[in-house]
Amino acid sequence: MEINDIISSGLLELYVLEKTNEQETIQVQSWKATYPEVAQELLAIEYSLEQYDRAHAVVPSAEVKNKLLSKIMSKSDDRSIPSISIPAPVRSINNFWKYAVAASIILLIGSSILTVNYYDKYKSASNDLAIAESKIQAQESTIASLNSNLEVPLNNYSQQVVLKGTPSSPSSTAKIFWLRNSGDVYIEASGLPEVPKGSQYQLWAIIDGKPVDAGMIMLDNNGKKYNIQKMKSFGSVQAFAITLEKEGGSPTPTMEKLTVISTL
Amino acid sequence: MQISKQQYTEHELVSSLKDRDEKAFSYLYNNYNISLNGVIFMLVNDVTLAEDILQEAFLKIWNNIDLYDDTKGKLYTWMRRIAHNLALDTMKSSQYKNQNRIVTNESVLTNIAVNNNVINKFESNDFRRKLEFLDEKQQILINMSYYQGYTQKEIAKELEIPEGTVKTRIRSAIIELRKIFT
Repeated sequence: MEINDIISSGLLELYVLEKTNEQETIQVQSWKATYPEVAQELLAIEYSLEQYDRAHAVVPSAEVKNKLLSKIMSKSDDRSIPSISIPAPVRSINNFWKYAVAASIILLIGSSILTVNYYDKYKSASNDLAIAESKIQAQESTIASLNSNLEVPLNNYSQQVVLKGTPSSPSSTAKIFWLRNSGDVYIEASGLPEVPKGSQYQLWAIIDGKPVDAGMIMLDNNGKKYNIQKMKSFGSVQAFAITLEKEGGSPTPTMEKLTVISTL
Repeated sequence: MQISKQQYTEHELVSSLKDRDEKAFSYLYNNYNISLNGVIFMLVNDVTLAEDILQEAFLKIWNNIDLYDDTKGKLYTWMRRIAHNLALDTMKSSQYKNQNRIVTNESVLTNIAVNNNVINKFESNDFRRKLEFLDEKQQILINMSYYQGYTQKEIAKELEIPEGTVKTRIRSAIIELRKIFT
């Protein structure tokens, strides 16, 4: 028989699985001894079998190992008992308890280590999960605010009003989107200077020459950025202005802290 | 948890086991329990029963390690035979006799599917992806011969295809496997 015929006969696979009959087994063994290629092929079959099994692996419960280890240990205990040779039955009971206690302590320690270990794994896994979840939430709220930021300027009724910096703060700007159908006022305040601690920007609507509180301008959750935000609604306004006030706002504007103003 | 980070060559492992070294046994178990449990589960299709047989198999391996002859093959192949035979014996025993061992293609595939669900999460995903390169026919044949314990003759009869075809297909599946895994 040619080596290739041997290799493709299918007998080698059966041999590895011990499924060959006696005659076939002898045959394969003699091939193995004669041809290094056959020996190599057999090893390769064994290797692929092992890899294949690994791909179909099923994790048993941790109990199996614990049971096995305790069985193996109790076996070696059995062996040592006769060599101690205790005549008195009372002492053998004592010994039994010794071994029982020893075995249970070992089991207890083993299971405690496992418990701590699994608890640690569980903790770090749930931490990771929480971190991932909060990241997703943050992303979602960013997307939501970006979406609402886009909605207002794209609204058909939106009228844009630019607020320009006053001499005390010439580079400041702000934008108002005023929806003519509903009177809703939105402000985009990212062009304002950073707000000092304890202070807050307040929007005013000038109606009939008098300033009317239009709401406080809030920073986002991180305290860093201004998103487009909804203020109080007005039907007719002569001008909008923003002043820097103490946190929470004032009933009347502090004119020397006027930051930006518009005329309509 | 790694109780012992020691690595053994196969030869060292066998000789430590023959010296009744419990650490070596622990290492042996850690390295092979999931594979052997998979082999057994594939046959008995019952998680609890598979674990009972797995335990029995490792005890037998521990008690009979002196019978292992490394000139005849790899340690894993020898252990697998013990596990597989124990599983086959269980299936043949009175309790399982009424259950038909005749396995249709469908139930072999179900076994693969069930197996997928309890798959080892640590390292097998990669292997599994690789296995998908085998076509379905090849997977059926490999499973019938490697797991269900069919001879090639029995497979031929069961699937109603010529024995020669079974041999060729198993052969080509093994060649594929080897390409995939090396």
